[in-house]
Amino acid sequence: MVSLINNNDQPTLIKDMKKYLVNILILGFILIQANVSGQETRSPKEEDYYKIITVPTPEGVLLEVGGVATLPDGRIAVSTRRGDVWIIENPTMENNSNPRFTLFASGLHESLGLAYRDGALFTAQRGELTKLMDTNGDGKADVYETIYAWPISGHYHEYSFGPKFASDGSFFVTGNVAFGNEEWWRGESRKPWRGWTMKIHQDGTMEPWATGMRSPCGLGIIDGELFYDDNQGDWVGSGGLWHVTKGSFTGHPAGLRWTGEANSPLKVTTEQLYAKVDPRFVRKEGQVVKPENIANEKPTFLYEVKKDIPELKLPAVWLPHGILGISNAEILVDETAGKFGPFAGQVFVGDQGQSKIMRVVLEKVKGEYQGVAFDFKAGFQSGVLRMNWGHDGSLYAGETNRGWGSAGTTNSGLQRLMWTGKTPFEMKTVKAMPDGFEIEFTLPVDLKSAEDLASYVGRSFIYKYHPVYGSPTVNDEKLSIKGVKVSADNLKVRIVIDNIRQYYLHELTSFGIRSKDGNLPLLHPTAYYTLNNIPEGNKLPASELSIKNSKSNPAKAVPAKVTPKTTASTGSKAMTYAEIEPLLKKNTCTACHNQNKRQVGPAFADVSKRKYSDEKILELIYTPQPKNWPEYATPMAAMPQVPRDEALKIAKWINSLRTEVVSNNP
Amino acid sequence: MKKVISIFLLSSLFFCALAQEKRLSLTDMSDFKPQAGNWFVVGDVTINPSIDIHEEHDKIAVEAGKKKKGTSPEIIKPKAVEFTAGTGVLLNMNEETKKDNLLSTFEHGDIELELEVMLPKGSNSGIYLQGRYEVQLLDSWGVKNPSFSDIGGIYRNWENEAGKSYAGKAPLSNPAKAPGLWQTMKISFRAPKFDATGKKIANAKFVSVELNGIKIHENVEVPLPTGGPIENNEKPLGPLMIQGDHGPVAFRNIKYTLKHEALSSISNVTYKIYRGQYKVVSDFIALEPESKGASSELSIEAADSDNDYGIVFNGNVTVPENEKYTFVILNTGGIKMTLNGAILIDFQSDSWQPQVGTVELKAGTYPFEIINYKTASWMPPRLALYIKTPSTYPQTLTAFNSYPPDENPVQSIFIKAGNEPKLLRAFIDFEGDSKRRLTHTIGVGDPSGINYVYDLESGNLACVWHGDFVDATPMWHDRGDGSFRPLGAAQYLFINQPLAFLASANDAFPVMGKEGEFRTKGYVIDATSQLPIFNYTYLGLTVQDKIYPDDNNRSITREVTLKERGSKTGLYFKLAEGNDIIKMNNGMYVVDKKYYIKTSASASVRSVNGKKELVSTVDGNSIKYTIIW
Repeated sequence: MVSLINNNDQPTLIKDMKKYLVNILILGFILIQANVSGQETRSPKEEDYYKIITVPTPEGVLLEVGGVATLPDGRIAVSTRRGDVWIIENPTMENNSNPRFTLFASGLHESLGLAYRDGALFTAQRGELTKLMDTNGDGKADVYETIYAWPISGHYHEYSFGPKFASDGSFFVTGNVAFGNEEWWRGESRKPWRGWTMKIHQDGTMEPWATGMRSPCGLGIIDGELFYDDNQGDWVGSGGLWHVTKGSFTGHPAGLRWTGEANSPLKVTTEQLYAKVDPRFVRKEGQVVKPENIANEKPTFLYEVKKDIPELKLPAVWLPHGILGISNAEILVDETAGKFGPFAGQVFVGDQGQSKIMRVVLEKVKGEYQGVAFDFKAGFQSGVLRMNWGHDGSLYAGETNRGWGSAGTTNSGLQRLMWTGKTPFEMKTVKAMPDGFEIEFTLPVDLKSAEDLASYVGRSFIYKYHPVYGSPTVNDEKLSIKGVKVSADNLKVRIVIDNIRQYYLHELTSFGIRSKDGNLPLLHPTAYYTLNNIPEGNKLPASELSIKNSKSNPAKAVPAKVTPKTTASTGSKAMTYAEIEPLLKKNTCTACHNQNKRQVGPAFADVSKRKYSDEKILELIYTPQPKNWPEYATPMAAMPQVPRDEALKIAKWINSLRTEVVSNNP
Repeated sequence: MKKVISIFLLSSLFFCALAQEKRLSLTDMSDFKPQAGNWFVVGDVTINPSIDIHEEHDKIAVEAGKKKKGTSPEIIKPKAVEFTAGTGVLLNMNEETKKDNLLSTFEHGDIELELEVMLPKGSNSGIYLQGRYEVQLLDSWGVKNPSFSDIGGIYRNWENEAGKSYAGKAPLSNPAKAPGLWQTMKISFRAPKFDATGKKIANAKFVSVELNGIKIHENVEVPLPTGGPIENNEKPLGPLMIQGDHGPVAFRNIKYTLKHEALSSISNVTYKIYRGQYKVVSDFIALEPESKGASSELSIEAADSDNDYGIVFNGNVTVPENEKYTFVILNTGGIKMTLNGAILIDFQSDSWQPQVGTVELKAGTYPFEIINYKTASWMPPRLALYIKTPSTYPQTLTAFNSYPPDENPVQSIFIKAGNEPKLLRAFIDFEGDSKRRLTHTIGVGDPSGINYVYDLESGNLACVWHGDFVDATPMWHDRGDGSFRPLGAAQYLFINQPLAFLASANDAFPVMGKEGEFRTKGYVIDATSQLPIFNYTYLGLTVQDKIYPDDNNRSITREVTLKERGSKTGLYFKLAEGNDIIKMNNGMYVVDKKYYIKTSASASVRSVNGKKELVSTVDGNSIKYTIIW
């Protein structure tokens, strides 16, 4: 979302408060509108629509989930990083009776995927694809058949994921890269097909399918096509979702080492890529130097390199790092035909680090997949690595965070996400248009709010393509919204934007829009559309557009609706969470931090107890000191992109948490 | 990450100790006090593992009795122990009249002792540190629950009086090998300490005892002499004693290092502090320091920062004797140490392991300089400096807080077989060598205490061991590295694809199965034993590999069966590899006197690449052999 506060002055606390007032007016609008309607006494929450239920695990059973498969009889099979496969009977706890766990198989090598077909379970171990069968009917596997074994060097990071079934019955499996010994940050492919997707046929032959993978934990079949997601890392600016056609190169160069093999489906060489993007092998006085982000360079972008290397595949959808996940995992298409709510046919993507699930909708523009991503459901107890559907249309989330850390503070487990039957007010999808976007909603919109340009803000940005770990968002530009048009059925809004940019990620936020019935704000107000292609077609004539803007007309401004109560709350010294939340979200702080709860990083309240000055917190945002928090597994990344004024506001708010504590406990 | 590093650093510290050890020549008996003659030096010893020395004695006694009566002219005299003339092996062959214990001429206090020992079936001996504290030697092969009286046990005494009795201590596990095989033992012992009045102020202590590479005691005090000491008292020094009255026993490679407390010190510590992100020493060394100071101790606390600092310590180190001194630094960030103007340690990158420098010094005081800088924010500031000589334990010269112990050490994850075999796939480092990491391996732990690792990439048995199954901590702590470690004394066999068509009988076996030739098919679980049966194909052959505990759960038998042998000739199977493979009188092969191979297949010993291999042609449909260790 775009900053609601544009503060160029050196802020004083009072000035700040004034600015926040503006901010609060908008938020207050949400609350007050809700109150006025009388139908909603509070902002809708995710759990009003989707409920998380923990599947109780017997003591002694450790479900560090690596794979979830649904059996034809409704039982759920779960494979674990400890190498077990458990089969869970009655996971839905019918008859008020606890689920029963049977150990189907054990001793697997860090199984990170599980799939069922024709009486057998299939899993990727570190070094092979394995078929597990119970041939004597005692409920335990007695055949552990190797379908295909691939080479690995024995590096810890050489995880393998899958399988997913291709439409021809073969198996897709992906493999992580290793890292250098000296250049411990640089992904490398030590053995053939590390950093690749392999297509393994049922006869045990293997067809190298595509490369460019770095940490391809998530695989999914969408429209019969293979997709995968990757995490931010070296050469990977942000997580995203890629369509993996045969011979694709998705960006990480390690796997290019094997494109000279006879069976390689692409011939792009490492040298070809390095000629376009400096891999930055640098030594200083004999010591290797880790590539770091260069602040004021002219960056290289994936789409530019693609012009020379057409095999390079842009992500169909960026999942902006820190906002829509930090370690993307399972990809799952909603096949429940409505049992899971209004998103049938759409795609869910789990995230390990943020312990949540995102929602993606793809469309094909100019022959290529692209689309939009939204937040969907947060608050899982641990990292959401794997997902699958139960027969009742609930979603099973298999969880683990060992060694990685996650927002959910439990180490592992299995949870079930159930639709409550209520339809949330959401952007159902966003489609690219020749002159902007069309948002489709799950419920009809309130015409007045939908026609108000003040209801919408947006920006566009992109990520660098460089050997550095991750990328800041760059070339950030505010979207200039020219007008909107609401469809006759009030379910769609066309947004016409002057400055859409091909290849860029477009962030569209609508705090102001309301549902027609119930006057609800959007449950998740922001959409992230990856505009790899701009569709051809007619642009909307200006005459059809609404250009009403309540913000530009003070007479119609919202403040009139602010009740004294709300004003009073903003007048108090400490900012409320609601006040600071937009800033925290915008700057992705909430990706890892919660106000009071430990997540990937410490709670803001715990940070406040360190009694850092505001300036010190600012410094720590720019140059974190993970050493200060040794009990957290994931070090905080430097956040140089957070504007100084915003960082200071966040710092002030963090420190206000301490004051509150003190004042409450004299 | 912090935890992993510190454990690694600390454990490595003691492995990198320089060993300036003495080795008993065993060319004659001059290292020992005179004795009845039951102890002598020989060239080699071969023991028939199936003959119990008590049976042997009984039979000799029977023979003697019969001879007296003159009734039986034909008595078989099975010999448990045979030896050849020569030097290098110390042997005890006690008899009724000659059964002295053996005492070393040297006396010791703190000592590190290492030796190899071989026992015949049923034999018994013991190693008495200072002639007073006994580590038991016994043929304990196959014992499931070892007690103080099994091999490696710290023996009890036989006092009844309150305050004088000592119950002994059982070894943590039983890594014993079969009779007739060399077993290694390493003992780190600290003598009891006494004050000026002769009052004991510290108990004798086994810092560690290892049998066949497995720690069986760690940091265990012995408050009183154990049974059968040379004198029932405690003293700062005493001779090493080996028990000689309970049965034959052989030793070789006896090495020891006498140790004493280190008495070095540092003084006049000053420091200069620089603030910034430095990649190398030259980034800051010429700059004006931000601050300077002096300190009574050497501590990284002086840097007064968690990160982005450079610090230069100067001071003096005083050493008490003319010796070879080793300085060891554990630190975070880059490090450089100069002693007396000469560079001793220089590692200008993030240090992950101990930095070591060794220098000969005469007793005296020398100036030192230590330069440390750090930008790795995920690691805490740490600096430890140790000094040691071949005869001293490492002495810490830095302050406690400069390298405090880890507050939350890693919990172990040990996997044991339950009522059924435990199977677990993991990487394994062959002989503990990470450069020989096997990646497609599975460990099998049988409830009987027989364990092995099978390499599916080559259809090969990689190692075998007795006792508990594996330590999975390296695989399952934190992200893990995918590997486990055997919990017992693993006998590593060899790395090869053991079943292969060879163009000529002297060709080497393939290292691993080649894609297109060899293909693992995984395994099935045997319904009765719940043990895996491995399957693979190799150049048209369909192979089944069964491996199971045998011989009262002390050995492993392996049956490799070909579904259809076909007619192609030149198929061989490799059963063993070593420097020395001998066919014994009982028909078994002994490999480096580390393990036995028993087979009815016609096998022969050949030399390939400087190694001996025990190889059998495969003409029929199967090959079967037993590994005893």
